[in-house]
Amino acid sequence: MSKFTKEMVQNYANKLLINLSDEENALVLEEFDVIDHNMELITKIPNIEKVEPMTHTLDDFTYELRSDVATPSPSIEEILQNCDKYEDREVVVPKVVGGD
Amino acid sequence: MNITKSIEELHTLLKNKEITPDELVQESLLKTKEVQEKCNAFVTIIDNPRITEVTDNPLSGIPFGVKDNYSTKGILSTGSSNTLKDYVPIFTATAVEKLESAGAIMVNKTALDEFGMGGTGTTCATGVVRNPWDEKRMCAGSSAGSAAAVASGVYPFALGSDTGDSIRKPAAYCGIVGYKPTYGMISRYGLFPFASSLDHCGVLTRSVRDAAYVVDAMKGIDDKDQTTWDSKDIHLVDSLSGNIKGKKLFYIKELANIDNYHHPSEMLKLHLENFQKTLDLVKSLGASVTEVSFDQALLNALPSVYVCLSCAEATSNMSNLTGIIFGKRGIGNTPDEIMMDHRTKGFSPLIKRRFVIGSYILQKENQERYFNNAARVRRLIVDKMKDLFKNYDALIMPVGSGIAPYLDDDNNMIDNDEVRCLEEHLQIGNFGGFPSITIPNGFISNMPVGVNITGNCYDDENTLNIAYAIESVMPYKNQIAKDDKNE
Repeated sequence: MSKFTKEMVQNYANKLLINLSDEENALVLEEFDVIDHNMELITKIPNIEKVEPMTHTLDDFTYELRSDVATPSPSIEEILQNCDKYEDREVVVPKVVGGD
Repeated sequence: MNITKSIEELHTLLKNKEITPDELVQESLLKTKEVQEKCNAFVTIIDNPRITEVTDNPLSGIPFGVKDNYSTKGILSTGSSNTLKDYVPIFTATAVEKLESAGAIMVNKTALDEFGMGGTGTTCATGVVRNPWDEKRMCAGSSAGSAAAVASGVYPFALGSDTGDSIRKPAAYCGIVGYKPTYGMISRYGLFPFASSLDHCGVLTRSVRDAAYVVDAMKGIDDKDQTTWDSKDIHLVDSLSGNIKGKKLFYIKELANIDNYHHPSEMLKLHLENFQKTLDLVKSLGASVTEVSFDQALLNALPSVYVCLSCAEATSNMSNLTGIIFGKRGIGNTPDEIMMDHRTKGFSPLIKRRFVIGSYILQKENQERYFNNAARVRRLIVDKMKDLFKNYDALIMPVGSGIAPYLDDDNNMIDNDEVRCLEEHLQIGNFGGFPSITIPNGFISNMPVGVNITGNCYDDENTLNIAYAIESVMPYKNQIAKDDKNE
């Protein structure tokens, strides 16, 4: 018996603002036990909790703050070229607060 | 046709005015159209590229291809995703910009698994990319279009990106060279991010020397990518001596020794036999090869560590794909509905699957157990490699478990069979940011196979030179794909 349900899978997707069709949900659900089983292999390493997680590829990065000088950046008009809905220099979205 | 020649040969022809950049571009475009018909390798064909002058720069006047997850100003850049099917960037990726300033001429954008999140070349918005050696087989991915194009002789090089093995595996399946340098040697500015801590820029070519030319031109520190480092003392082309006498190589016993497989297929036997023949060649060059044992538990966990880290990072990186400020606007009454409509319609089922895995891993109750532990195992694997690099110059390994599978066989699922680690081990190169290069090392059933050489960080010169030496004693350099099966 799988510990995963259709609802759980849908919930994981919804948290990323993605909806799954029934077929897509079934595709994921079908293999979720295998995925979970494979994930468990990660926890099988002895004394793993004592290891510092590695989040960057190289451990010797040198970070340099750039000088506080304005450099050219794209114009708003240019940026809006890829936007489907805008007015003047602003992106249009439905009203979020305040109701109608 | 001249276009199938190496960078040096083309440069000589251009300098001697035996051919013009325009003529080369026309040859490349002709070939592009042929390969598009045959392999479906391209998202965009640039019919009228800006022709450059021939200078002393070896890349000047030479056509090249760019994977469609690199931003190219004024030219459609989709990442092979429907979410960005009309997206035209307003800036160019640093890597591409550097090649263009060297005088190279971009002639097409190549297809990839959606946003690089696949290893088959079958999940591109423009359809399946077919292998030029046999159209019924896959190229592997995600740099599928670049691999198919270079293998077919469209140009001497095309850009790829590599998060798990996305340059180095397609190179093997297509019989060419695929090189990703040390992490941060090439700027990732303008490369669509998939999993930033694992993403590398790189190149696909038909010879190690060509790869060295291209990366010499692309590398360098970039203010726009904080992870780049100063590589001005690295000169890849100049370091190709071909002398590897005294160099020490190792391979991983648990993966590359046939005795470790209980039920090896005929294909696996042939592949590992061929690998042993390559090791004999390495020894004949005066280098040593040692069989080294790697912790089996770490190897078993390796593919899961990759799935865990890459899917988790991807969910975050792709949260900007909302369709609000760029991309096709979704339908809905609230911003959330609009974004959900865009993302639901735009992403293909297979990429959604990876997002669901990422979301699962990042659930509060799983973060420590899966995500943080995966990052811990990553460190153990990298530490083990770094220990080995104290005694050895490079790791040499077969790529995958055989030749390119048939497209019909592809189910894109995470399988659990005996060769899983052998199929996935190139991810070690991404975990540690190691320089890693695949070169062709033979044929099985008339299909190419590859061998990979991975060195320590910043040791790109040595790594490339080892590959160069091995390439020089095998007959596969500069080969162009021949599809005898469909003729």
